[in-house]
Amino acid sequence: MRITVDEARCEGYGFCAEAAPHLLELDDEGDLKVLSEEVAPGDAANAEAAVRVCPVAALRLEP
Amino acid sequence: MTSTSEIPSLDLDLFSDDVLTDPFPVYERIRNAGPVVYLPRYRSYAMGRYADVRAGLADWESFSSAQGIGLNDLANAATQGMIIATDPPEHDRLRDVLASRLSPKAIRQLKDDIERRADELVAPLVRQGDFDAVDDLARAFPISIVLDLIGLPQNGRDKVLGWADAAFSASGPPGPRTDAAFPLLEDQLAYLSSIEPDQLTPGSMGRAIYDAAAAGRIRQESCVPLMSAYVTAGLDTTINAISNAVWYFAHNPEQWDLVRLDPTLIPSAFNEVLRIESPVQFFCRVATRDVDVDGLTLAAGSRVMMLYASANRDERKWADPARFDVRRNPVDHLAFGYGMHGCAGQGLARLEGHSILAALARRVERFEVGAPVRRINQLIRGLDALPTTVRPVAETA
Ligand code: HEM
Ligand code: SF4
Repeated sequence: MRITVDEARCEGYGFCAEAAPHLLELDDEGDLKVLSEEVAPGDAANAEAAVRVCPVAALRLEP
Repeated sequence: MTSTSEIPSLDLDLFSDDVLTDPFPVYERIRNAGPVVYLPRYRSYAMGRYADVRAGLADWESFSSAQGIGLNDLANAATQGMIIATDPPEHDRLRDVLASRLSPKAIRQLKDDIERRADELVAPLVRQGDFDAVDDLARAFPISIVLDLIGLPQNGRDKVLGWADAAFSASGPPGPRTDAAFPLLEDQLAYLSSIEPDQLTPGSMGRAIYDAAAAGRIRQESCVPLMSAYVTAGLDTTINAISNAVWYFAHNPEQWDLVRLDPTLIPSAFNEVLRIESPVQFFCRVATRDVDVDGLTLAAGSRVMMLYASANRDERKWADPARFDVRRNPVDHLAFGYGMHGCAGQGLARLEGHSILAALARRVERFEVGAPVRRINQLIRGLDALPTTVRPVAETA
């Protein structure tokens, strides 16, 4: 599974990073950084939670 | 393909005084009737279940905002060009201008100031002991913050609030309430049109709109509609959320104790207030093609009400949805909408809400409220007055 962010839509709410801290992080500037696009099977549930909580639907999970 | 005739039809009046006062039983009927229902009185459809509303909001290509988000042609025409009534690519150009000033990153430096303002507002009210949680607290706070951020000149500010309320109500179905609200929406637009860019505080969010137009990032004609987005969307919504919070905490003192004793619950508590009593009840979309809604076909051209407030009480999604539970942390509620049009001001709204709750949590042990006066509005839900008495926490320092 891969997680990707649509940078044009992402406004930096950071809820995704709270849901999946292994995969996503807000840097000091307040910009979202994808730490790992590759989602390990053990992180799948967190990745799904991250996608779910993004208020502007900026994250995508691909198989 | 299934035909639209299979969509259940309900002869409901969603805009009577009774329903506007307590819409939740009607929303439950809509949810139970099907994933989408037809409301013949408004020649429109409505979606009330969480999963369908959320999926519809995510699918902007099938559910367009560009024909307006209201239930009458006049308002839908008058709001043409406002961000809320656009699709990409126009939407994204306008959103960029707002997000550059409203995104969490952009408002980070406002945090200290807003927290200080919350303290300065709350401390004397608590000392005073009795106040109106709507006028003295919920209105006073966003007005001072948002109008300063927009950079509006002092004259005319007093009228802005009445216009914002009407600008929402004007999008209801044809009828006397809409007729009464519509001229005020026009007054708001006339007032905003009369403001010269150099009357707006340099560096303000309002000024940034005109700067974007001068730089060619948006069209000149977009300035007034964007200003209108700020003054309409940024006031009554937050005001309602704050007064609803006081009402819920007065009626659920054990929930207030949880928040007082553990202020890290404040973000969850504010989300819960927004979930249980969504300030914006609905906006509409228009289907651009025949769309499948959970097995029913909604025909191209159908106008459909997205009932955020119903989705947020959908028993298919939420356990015991009418229970106010500050530990629920309903992060994926739909009170801010969802997806592309998801509230552009939610960072600011949260900052305001969290700051007020934190200031109250430091000082108030109990809220006692008298009978609230409800403010009847066709799109947004909130109070007009809420007589409140607070018992302060025992002096610690
Ligand atoms: C608790 C307070 C608030 C609530 C409940 C709320 C609710 C909403 C909702 C439901 C939408 C979705 C529109 C749609 O789906 O078509 C929206 C959009 C919007 N809100 Fe808020 N709002 C709040 C506060 C604010 C504030 C403080 C501002 C700005 C100062 C603001 C500015 C906007 C703007 C500009 C849009 C349009 C976004 C777009 O179309 O892309 N809102 N809001
Ligand atoms: S929640 Fe969405 S908007 Fe916020 S940082 Fe994550 S991807 Fe970006």
